[in-house]
Amino acid sequence: MQPRGKEQANFPGRPTQPFLAAPQSSTPFRSPGPVGGIEVSGPSRAISPFVSSGPMTGLGASGSPQNMSPFLSSGPAIGTQPSSYRAPPPSMRSNGPSSPPTSSFSAQDASIYQQSQALGFPPAPMHPPPPIGQPHMPPSGNFRPQSQIPLVPMGPPPQGSSQLTSMSNMPPPSGSVFSAPRTPPQPLLQGYSNVPQRANVPPFQPDSQFQASRPVPQPLMQVYPAAHVPPIHTSQYHAHQSLVPPPPPVGGPMGFNSREQLQHPLTGPPIGGVQGLVEEFQSLTVGSVPGALDPGVDAKSLPRPLNGDEEPIKLLEMYPFNCHPRFMRLTTHAIPNSQSLLSRWHLPLGAVVHPLAEAPDGEEVPIVNFGPAGIIRCRRCRTYVNPYVTFTDAGRKWRCNLCSLLNDVPGEYYCALDATGRRCDLDQRPELSKGSVEFVASTEYMVRPPMPPLYFFLIDVSVSAVCSGLLEIVAKTIKSCLDDLPGFPRTQIGFITFDSTLHFHNLKSSLTQPQMLVVADLDDVFLPLPDDLLVNLSDSRHVVDAFLDSLPSMFQGTSNVESAFGPALKAAFMVMSQLGGKLLIFQSTLPSLGVGRLRLRGDDLRMYGTDKEHTLRLPEDPFYKQMAAEFTKNQIAVDIYAFSEKYSDIASLGSLAKYTGGQVYHHPSFQTAVHQEKLRYELARNLTRETAWEAVMRIRCGKGVRFTTYHGHFMLRSTDLLALPAVDCDKAFAMQLSLEETLMTTQTVYFQVALLYTSSSGERRIRVHTTAAPVVADLSEMYRQADTGAIVSLLGRLAIENSLSQKLEDARQSLQLKLVKSLKEYRNLYVVQHRLGGRLIFPESLKFLPLYVLSLFKSVALRGGYADSPLDERCAAGYNMMILPISRMLKLIYPGLFRIDENLLKDLKEGQEPLRQLPLSAQSLDPKGVYVLDDGFNFIIWLGRMLSSDLLNNIVGVELASFPDLSRVVVCEHDNEISKRLMRVLKELRAKDPSSYQSCRLWLCRLDSSSIQAITRLVKMVTTTVIVPFFYLAMLASASSNSCLQHME
Amino acid sequence: MVYVWLAAFFLLVFLLVLVIYQLMSLADLEFDCINPYDSASQINKTIVPEFVFQGSLCLLFLLSGHWLMFLFCIPNLYYNLRLYQHRQHLIDVTEIFNQINREKKRRLIKVMSVVLLLLMSLFWMLWSALEADEQLVTVRSY
Repeated sequence: MQPRGKEQANFPGRPTQPFLAAPQSSTPFRSPGPVGGIEVSGPSRAISPFVSSGPMTGLGASGSPQNMSPFLSSGPAIGTQPSSYRAPPPSMRSNGPSSPPTSSFSAQDASIYQQSQALGFPPAPMHPPPPIGQPHMPPSGNFRPQSQIPLVPMGPPPQGSSQLTSMSNMPPPSGSVFSAPRTPPQPLLQGYSNVPQRANVPPFQPDSQFQASRPVPQPLMQVYPAAHVPPIHTSQYHAHQSLVPPPPPVGGPMGFNSREQLQHPLTGPPIGGVQGLVEEFQSLTVGSVPGALDPGVDAKSLPRPLNGDEEPIKLLEMYPFNCHPRFMRLTTHAIPNSQSLLSRWHLPLGAVVHPLAEAPDGEEVPIVNFGPAGIIRCRRCRTYVNPYVTFTDAGRKWRCNLCSLLNDVPGEYYCALDATGRRCDLDQRPELSKGSVEFVASTEYMVRPPMPPLYFFLIDVSVSAVCSGLLEIVAKTIKSCLDDLPGFPRTQIGFITFDSTLHFHNLKSSLTQPQMLVVADLDDVFLPLPDDLLVNLSDSRHVVDAFLDSLPSMFQGTSNVESAFGPALKAAFMVMSQLGGKLLIFQSTLPSLGVGRLRLRGDDLRMYGTDKEHTLRLPEDPFYKQMAAEFTKNQIAVDIYAFSEKYSDIASLGSLAKYTGGQVYHHPSFQTAVHQEKLRYELARNLTRETAWEAVMRIRCGKGVRFTTYHGHFMLRSTDLLALPAVDCDKAFAMQLSLEETLMTTQTVYFQVALLYTSSSGERRIRVHTTAAPVVADLSEMYRQADTGAIVSLLGRLAIENSLSQKLEDARQSLQLKLVKSLKEYRNLYVVQHRLGGRLIFPESLKFLPLYVLSLFKSVALRGGYADSPLDERCAAGYNMMILPISRMLKLIYPGLFRIDENLLKDLKEGQEPLRQLPLSAQSLDPKGVYVLDDGFNFIIWLGRMLSSDLLNNIVGVELASFPDLSRVVVCEHDNEISKRLMRVLKELRAKDPSSYQSCRLWLCRLDSSSIQAITRLVKMVTTTVIVPFFYLAMLASASSNSCLQHME
Repeated sequence: MVYVWLAAFFLLVFLLVLVIYQLMSLADLEFDCINPYDSASQINKTIVPEFVFQGSLCLLFLLSGHWLMFLFCIPNLYYNLRLYQHRQHLIDVTEIFNQINREKKRRLIKVMSVVLLLLMSLFWMLWSALEADEQLVTVRSY
């Protein structure tokens, strides 16, 4: 059946038996076994120039005395850079009392309004809906202008008491006017009136500054015009002015409700920056009855991230030299200046780096070739030249922005400076004007010649793979991709198939048909051929084609159920160890033979909920970790495609991908009809996307901060060097920062990601992303600059890692604790000033964070316990979430929901308005509608139970009554208009994200199974029934942080 | 009796050398003087001998009837046994950087306990030597 070897010359003295079955073949062949040359120590040092710079990066070590100088003193240094990269002016600070006092009246009105609201609030089930949606356009805008009408004299900034007097004489009617409308309250504004109000309340009064201001507390509203004699106001105002640093948050007694009602609204001393405050946080009114099931939150008003991920692009306006946020995002674009400040920021401080993110056309990363001059780098910290370096000494020296060392400019790179200290050739040099550049590396950046792109396939051909039709799809897909493999003339390719034996395939270009060599000795794996197992694709193209054509038929009718995965892995390693490359493993059963055999785990229910639970999610056999380490050492990346219907221990298999920069593709219970499109797409993308080979990544940062832990799929080669045998545009990495100094004196911290890799074309390249972030001394600024996407991505990865060493429950709890602590801290920051008792407040920048964290709890990897998701799927999802870029991560945990029945019924033209994303709540689902849920990996088409059967049958394509099992229905194009339109809609949705392909599942909401719970479980939908208690409890948590933990699920 | 102490002394010295070697290996790794593969294999080579020395030390104390010293050895022995039973005694090269601080701390504690034992055994060795000498002297004086 197999082509026999004609070329006996290739294996001298070798009998032909091995081609048959040859279990006895071991002895003669043992000696050629090691020919593959495992002792290759070279590749491990392939990046040595990079490595050698390692010790230099200890930035905190010996800071030169002029470290701070570029930012503080040296005038020309700053001159060369746009001033906009400096910290934003403090006038936007909420607490900036020094800013011009313009908007005091709106503040007052708001506070009056707040009062009225507070009065009606506690007993009322119909309290005003809290602010929602777009916080950038505060509802307060509506009534603020009105309030200013009677108070025109307010115009000029207050200079003395007279103007303030006029303020205080504001007619009482205006108060009542504003108490009338029950539009969404803007409690934020209240804060401005609160600062003086505090003078009313002895417990909150910073005594030293308010002694003069408050002779008598004013208990009643009505008396207030009289109470405010001008002198009081002036003194208040002055007192407030002296109160430049806001008083530390008081965690003490907060008996607001009663006192607040008696509180009389003073005319606030004029404080500016209302806008800034409005943007700063939103509040949510939460019922005041503890323990009540209905906390009184209108679910519709909860913020929902309906636009998906929003990249903080506006940062680029402030820091135009930063790399685009698609490449790197900090969890907060404001680095705390002290340990104590950091300890109050309970969320992770770190970055999510996506070094090879796909840029849209026209924004590609520019390539810079320094030629023989070599790349300009700092002598000490090895930082690459970037837009933030400053040139001094008439252009002969440049100062490194990370370590402040003065470096010489090489002669070839010299350019005169203009009057402002900028280099004259700034515009021609992308490395000095762009945050992201790619340098062409010279030979000093390679230890061996750049490797060719290499794809090696390890394919399970046991009975389950053959019967499910998997083998055929894989072979066809690989064949169709052969033309598009990157690095055309140099690409190498090879195959090993295995069941209970190993099958090597000789693809020598002089052959007409491939030869199969069978090795049955699993204990001592050897290569039957020294070479020709790995061939140049363009030379052997016809043989590879012939092999892939015959592969499905080759194992037709096999009955072999065993899988010698471990030995096959070793064999693949021996073949690839010389060059490195990418190993794609197609595994459809549990490895059962030889080294690395695995057993069924996870059936033991008693394991769950105990301390041993996490071991189920860890690789069982150390063999896999060892192999992964060896693979990385030899620059081999492993991608796993797992298809098993039953348990196949993804936890163990996935560790191969985890430490080699690979990826796990899990297709549980693979069915050709349903999953083939997805598999085809994913495999084709994997094979054809631009891949960076034998890469290492290091992220350097300025003095005072240090990256401590890294999260993602890679292996740490040294404390801060990530080894990535292969990396591509679908992989992102997260890392956490720590402060090395107790107090940082710099104003800006710089980060530089450098990825040294071999491109598919065989060129050594360094991709450098530089970004700058201000150092702040203010927690509220950190909250303002927080980036929800990056935080969620980092939190998710942390939770996944925690779930590998703890119970799921504990992993979720620690996540929750972080959220609660941060909200509590934020509350402490503002609640005293702003009188927000009984409210949950959260920063505008983090308004989606609670929802996303809740969604994380509901994600496949972290949700529930034993029964909620199969162990394999849980592990696969965990591995998946460790590499996802931010936007895809957010989409996965908070999928998009679209209503499409109108699009199906009406014939809408191209270019119609795009589908509108709906909030994921039970209210969004209309039983008469058709919905698509898109999480980036799967579509779920939700068919309402009151859908017309005509529409239903058209979508499904068969009589539904005769086809009860919807999970087996394939959504494909049928011969009717509706089905065609459906496919068009799905195609549109798929086109949004080229990195994955969503396979379809139908979910028909029938009468008998339409309970919300069932949908929730299946669709992972975050329903209101879940979200509301969460908010409520998170609020409560600020009082007692433990109480909420039990109620979460 | 002196020979028991002498043997214990040498065992302890071996033990100390091994643990300090492991510590140095970890420190080298931290300062990027060595790659994780070499570091892990260096350490892993010495772990089983270390455990064996530790075990034989305990056995020696037990058999020679030095109960107090044996008691001092017990915590370390228990720790080693536990690690071995859980198959966690070897350093995992893939996770070495995440574990480096913990591993260093453990080994520092080990070093301290071994040094303590060393001093004690040194003391007892001298004590028993002097005692033997004294006995000899007393015997001779009779």
